[in-house]
Amino acid sequence: MTAEHIIKSYDEELNRLNKMIVEMGGLAESQLAAAIDAVTTRDSELAARVIEGDEKVDQLERDMDNLAIRLLALRQPMARDLREIVVALKIGSDLERICDYAANVAKRAIALTQSPPIQPVHALPRMSVLALRLVRDVIDSYVERDADKALAVWVGDEELDEMYANLFRVFLTYMMEDPRNIGACTHVLFMAKNIERIGDHATNIAENVFYLVHGTPLTQVRPKGDKSSLEVVAPDRASGPAGAA
Amino acid sequence: MSLHLATPFPPLPKMPAQAAPSAAVVPLPVKVEIRNVGFYYGKFQALKDVSLPLFDRRVTAFIGPSGCGKSTLLRILNRIYELYPGQVATGEVLVDDENFLAPGVDLNRVRAKIGMVFQKPTPFPMSIYDNIAFGIRLYERLERSELDNRVESALRRAALWDEVKDKLRQSGIGLSGGQQQRLCIARAIAVEPEILLLDEPASALDPLSTQRIEELIAELKSDYCIAIVTHNMQQAARSSDYTAFMYLGELIEFDETERIFTHPQKKRTEDYITGRFG
Repeated sequence: MTAEHIIKSYDEELNRLNKMIVEMGGLAESQLAAAIDAVTTRDSELAARVIEGDEKVDQLERDMDNLAIRLLALRQPMARDLREIVVALKIGSDLERICDYAANVAKRAIALTQSPPIQPVHALPRMSVLALRLVRDVIDSYVERDADKALAVWVGDEELDEMYANLFRVFLTYMMEDPRNIGACTHVLFMAKNIERIGDHATNIAENVFYLVHGTPLTQVRPKGDKSSLEVVAPDRASGPAGAA
Repeated sequence: MSLHLATPFPPLPKMPAQAAPSAAVVPLPVKVEIRNVGFYYGKFQALKDVSLPLFDRRVTAFIGPSGCGKSTLLRILNRIYELYPGQVATGEVLVDDENFLAPGVDLNRVRAKIGMVFQKPTPFPMSIYDNIAFGIRLYERLERSELDNRVESALRRAALWDEVKDKLRQSGIGLSGGQQQRLCIARAIAVEPEILLLDEPASALDPLSTQRIEELIAELKSDYCIAIVTHNMQQAARSSDYTAFMYLGELIEFDETERIFTHPQKKRTEDYITGRFG
């Protein structure tokens, strides 16, 4: 770690900023985990607690923004210190967004309890395990100022993208098999998309950790595993209309 | 109904490649080439093998803790040190390819080409007008009206004219600190130098006067090669194009100012500019 500042309170404030990021990261993990629990156990009360918990994250982000702006105004940071503060601001908004997605999943979990259980829900925990790992690893990389670890998260998001792309197909099949599934399936599809987006924010954070450590932005092109946004469903013209057989 | 996933859309046409940067980046003209300069106060070596260029029409800032040699370096450039016994400079200072440290170089020519402004305003105990005219009279014999024009022009360029035009006969000592400093800058540029050395020009001034000096530096940059020594790092960051960080008589790092203050290459530089110096 680098030497301490001559002005001790400067170090204390930077440390406080660090701790707030770590606390937000912890909240992001627990919110997502609880939201997924609420989906699989069909627990509306737990889902409601996740939705309420989002306010705490928002407050933490506001506090962190205030501290960061205060530091910028009063300390006139340079070089690494400047990166610390700018990066904290950006990571803060990524973490806030991750928590928003968790709250979104929780909202849809409540809606899902209104209809009978559907099979594809069981794919969500698998996705969320991976998303949680990305969030945890990227926060670890921030704490340890480990650019290599951040890079691994940045690359690792491709797996989450692929999972989402596969689920997208599964959901489509489900909805086509029985239109009564469409309501519930759409909710689950949105949940999967939310979890996929969490991975994207983890890669944003990874890019910021890389910049924090090296002082230069990460400029490579990230591998993309999800091409579902380019896919369309077309009726198979060779086989006759549905139910013709 | 059977499910058929169409193949993804064909990839979007490739964007045309970005225009290549213009082939040849024209190097900045070097006004002053400082080469292997050393300096001794008696037996004490205050500067060790310092080499760097000062670019024309650019501002170069020298930063570093007290005693790092930055003011000494400025004093070498216009050979003020020669006024003191026991002070010796080694190496070369090439101004437009001529070594100004070489014996036999006409000191008056050195001083005419290189103007200097000090930390404390040093107006002469004479009228505002004569403060400016004094230097001009040393070098040139001018008609009264032409001298008037030169004085006005220097005061205008130092952004002082509007404040003093009605009291040119009053003493320069009666001006405020910030005005005195701008008077000294006007005096320095009145003799039409090519290089301006500013040794902490704003450190004795209030914040508004400081900003006026910084604005002035930005304007003067279009005509001069400027070197500024400052303890105020924000000031160096704001007003210079290049920054040299010095420590214990050595040049530690010299680079574009933006780079020095955002992503310096040497740890010692980073420690200094972020306030981590032990």
